[in-house]
Amino acid sequence: MTNLLKTMEINLGPQHPSTHGVLRLVLELDGEVIKSCTPIVGYLHRGIEKMAESRSYLQYLPIVDRIDYLGGFFNSYAFCDCIEHIANVEVPEKAQYIRVLCMELNRIASHLLWLGTFMLDLGASSPLFYCFRDRERILHIFEELTGQRMMYNYFTFGGVRWNIPDAILDSISVFVADLPNCIKDYENIITNNPIFISRCKNKGVLSKKTALQYSITGPNLRASGVALDFRKSNPYLVYDKLNFDIAINSECDALARYKVRISELYSSLEIVRQCLDYIRQSNDEVINKTLKPVILNIPDGEYTSSVEAPRGLTSCTVKAGGKNPYRVKWRTGSYYAVQLLPELINNSEIADVMAIFGSLDVILPEVDK
Amino acid sequence: MINTDLLKEYFPDVVVNEDYIFVSNNVFEILSFLKSKNYVDFDILSQIIATDYSEFVQLTYSLYSTVNNEFLYIITNVNTEATSVVKLYKSAYFDECEIYDMFGIKFIGNDKLKRLYMPESWKGHPLLKSYSNTDERLVWNND
Repeated sequence: MTNLLKTMEINLGPQHPSTHGVLRLVLELDGEVIKSCTPIVGYLHRGIEKMAESRSYLQYLPIVDRIDYLGGFFNSYAFCDCIEHIANVEVPEKAQYIRVLCMELNRIASHLLWLGTFMLDLGASSPLFYCFRDRERILHIFEELTGQRMMYNYFTFGGVRWNIPDAILDSISVFVADLPNCIKDYENIITNNPIFISRCKNKGVLSKKTALQYSITGPNLRASGVALDFRKSNPYLVYDKLNFDIAINSECDALARYKVRISELYSSLEIVRQCLDYIRQSNDEVINKTLKPVILNIPDGEYTSSVEAPRGLTSCTVKAGGKNPYRVKWRTGSYYAVQLLPELINNSEIADVMAIFGSLDVILPEVDK
Repeated sequence: MINTDLLKEYFPDVVVNEDYIFVSNNVFEILSFLKSKNYVDFDILSQIIATDYSEFVQLTYSLYSTVNNEFLYIITNVNTEATSVVKLYKSAYFDECEIYDMFGIKFIGNDKLKRLYMPESWKGHPLLKSYSNTDERLVWNND
């Protein structure tokens, strides 16, 4: 009875503006201090893995974009990569460059949305408008290229659906030239802002050991001092031919995660520039026509692809057998970051929950699948 | 590929293949051996993949070593019960809850095992091949 009086249980979410989807956190509070936290997920569960079993490969392809709707290209690529490996199909080099170009622009769009909403979580509303202004330009390019703002369905088995028109390459060039100045603007208003620093410095410290225990990957792991980037360590597509740096920070706190993502914006831009140069001078095909998607009949087999998505390692496992996939399993970065949250926010104050949660860049559709 | 001779010395019943290692029932012991520093140091349990093959459910533990940049797949077949590896890798908690939810496999040693996505009152385990949806809350599907 005395224990009951001491602590209070409250629900944060599911309909909380800062939960980036629908997440419920059951918090046990002692005054302002969090004593325990239980994340409850599943509000966005759409049965994406079960859906695969009743659909052909081509019918399933548009669905995979919805797993992480801020990084649709990454899911598409992970699934196409599996099918191409099982069916043993070569992807033309130009298509590989186009895929890298799309994925890196998508990574920039995803990080920009993260930056805006993270700052909004901390109470700063103007960065949101700046970030959405620049993200909108990328979405506009994607809309011209694929017809969709978020669920692209542009990659297909054996390449990409159609070539990039020169006009879109030109607008990407203009965007790539403009963005560094915009990022400098963000940094001017954010990086040295004393309020921002005091909200983030030494908050949500994630040691290297804990990060590995919880299977954290991507920018969150790199902000804990581990130089693991699947673009470098297990290069896929043409990443081994591109020059780029991976950002590492060993300060382990929310500020470090912010810094890593900002540096990733620059390195993604660097990759986009190199891809543009190649795509402009290449006259290759963009799709390998030996694989006919509509009457696709791939041999039995199994493959797991590993893709460095904006929120960590995304991997897709396809067990093929017959007309439909026998089993498809998705592994996503946020799924593991949500588990980590109770560890990070224990004994911190309730005002810091959203600063810490925001810095992990969790997106819930990816968790609930 | 890792040097598997030492592994076979400690665990004579493992079957080593080119892409994966098949074990019969001692997953916990083998994972703790593989995780140890003096062997290969597989520090990340990347995911647990479950697949229903009607007679049994196959669990694939996907390990990754950040030190050696290497993936390793440990495969085991189970029926209704498996050993929990949460004590070794905390990331396994959601995976085990999801597999319990979707395939009905109980993980011995995971004290807080619960359904991850479906409501606690849900009948059946959706990703089993024998699953058919009979929940009265979804009657609109029949119209």
